[in-house]
Amino acid sequence: MENQEQTASAADILTQAIANKLDYLSTLQAAVQHGDDRKVYELLDQVRYFQEVKKTRTTRTVNHLAELVDNIHPQISHYLSDNLIDYLGHIYPFFYYEEYTTGLFHIYFGNWWDRRLFGDLDVVNVKFEFDQAEYQKLRDSFALESQNQRLNTAKIEQISANSERLQQLVDDQAKRDTEKATLRDQLKENSGRSSMPWESGKVKDERQNIIDQLTKLADEDEKALDAHKAIKENDDQILVLSKEDTILNYEKQSIRDAFDDFEHFESHNASLYADYLNSLLGKSEGGVTVDD
Amino acid sequence: MINENDPSTLTTSGRLLNYNEAIKAGLETGITFTKLMDQLIKTTDTDELVAAATQLASFQLDSDFVTFPHQYSNADYYLLFMSRMLELHDQGNNVILQSRDHKEELTQQLTPLGDRGTFNFRIETSENGGVFYRERATGQALFYLNLERKMFRFSSHALTQLFIIDLHDTVPAETVKTSVQILVDFARFLKEDYGYSVDFNILDAANRQNYAVRAADLPAGIVDRLFVVAAQNDYMLTNGVNGNGAEIALDGDVVVDIFNNQLEGQPEWVLTVHDNEQKVSWFDVLIKYPFIRDWYLENLTDLEVKSDPLVFD
Repeated sequence: MENQEQTASAADILTQAIANKLDYLSTLQAAVQHGDDRKVYELLDQVRYFQEVKKTRTTRTVNHLAELVDNIHPQISHYLSDNLIDYLGHIYPFFYYEEYTTGLFHIYFGNWWDRRLFGDLDVVNVKFEFDQAEYQKLRDSFALESQNQRLNTAKIEQISANSERLQQLVDDQAKRDTEKATLRDQLKENSGRSSMPWESGKVKDERQNIIDQLTKLADEDEKALDAHKAIKENDDQILVLSKEDTILNYEKQSIRDAFDDFEHFESHNASLYADYLNSLLGKSEGGVTVDD
Repeated sequence: MINENDPSTLTTSGRLLNYNEAIKAGLETGITFTKLMDQLIKTTDTDELVAAATQLASFQLDSDFVTFPHQYSNADYYLLFMSRMLELHDQGNNVILQSRDHKEELTQQLTPLGDRGTFNFRIETSENGGVFYRERATGQALFYLNLERKMFRFSSHALTQLFIIDLHDTVPAETVKTSVQILVDFARFLKEDYGYSVDFNILDAANRQNYAVRAADLPAGIVDRLFVVAAQNDYMLTNGVNGNGAEIALDGDVVVDIFNNQLEGQPEWVLTVHDNEQKVSWFDVLIKYPFIRDWYLENLTDLEVKSDPLVFD
């Protein structure tokens, strides 16, 4: 029995394997030369492309060819970012991107004062990598809205109450001074009292009671002395919290303006890859008729 | 030997002659003075007006032999000068000059402001010379004027204290604006007609004007505060164009920036006010926007716009 496959030389097999790679690379090169971003994305992850864009179960086996360009992802990302960021600009008008090094992008939320660094944009995978802590704050702040609260409302109220107590301590200084004078008189009277032995316990108790009250007042005096500084620190804390609330409020407003609510925002993020590639598909189809 | 400069060596007739000459000279000074006064009060030529005022500002009327019991102070000639300067620019009605009975002393009121402010000039006694225009009740010196050096400097501190704080609750904003405009116009005439060096300070509506604030290195919390109160008032503080500060778009096309003007080395934080017609100054912004006024006043220690340090402490 003759079998060509069995007789095929090792060289032929290798040649074919290399040809596949060359073919992959030249297809990619042509796609870049023609500005066909859709094709580039398809080549970068064929499995995902067929699943999410073509909605077909790919019968192709994973060929790992895309790994060939792993080490030039920064350049690919840099190239693809132009059109992607244009597209994102329409759908997410509140995100701003900064390419902090070739192909790597920071996302900033908004253009307001001290806007937050909100995460990274993964251009090759068409995906937002949000900073989890910042994202959670935004999510919580949406959740709190139903209770008519901002993220830091409770904290601010707590600190304000503390400041009010401190202010009260300061305001009550005169009252305490009078109280202290009265207590000291009582103490003098107490010490001067020649008590009957059977009364000594009672006098001692009374004395201790007065001393306790004086100690308490002295503690309050001390707190009042530091109150000014403490109130200032509270003000600084409140400022930080109000600022965060203000920023979150702007973020929520931006999301509502563009997506109506947080859920729609999240579902858009989830289908971003498919949505973007479909938009490219529409464009290249339209483009062909014009170009040809 | 006869020495004319040494009276002890003179003959009697020589002494009388000297005496006579000294009186003549003293009277001559008086005549010169009255001519300058005539010029100051009557001339319709602004050059002559400035010349008369400049001379009268440092005029010594008394001499050893002739003294004049009734005299206005040099500072009063400045008031007269200011009134006349406005008059020659068809703004004579904007100020009211008042003299007191039985006393040679002038005061001035700004017509729109009425008796809410009484103004005069105070001579600067240091070797700098010049005068301060001040409100008498509060002592606020609104501007400094030096005719010899052709210098005019507004004080941000005094303008803020008097118009933004003291008169704020009792005088309508429009009245404050028209009153201050009289002072601005006076300075403008000196600048335009005589090439005076004028610092309009917070009254300067030119877009290029950088108002340097007192704290060269502004604490970050201060801009944060503006961000929070602006949001409460439906204005948004955004990142500045050049990335080293903040910006707030107000009504119309007015944009206020607060930023570090020095990209390297010692920081210098400044405020700017931009509007297409270059008609809006920081002072106008303070008058128009209560939340900006509150923010400015609450942080005045750091935010107060600097005045010329050579003139104002």
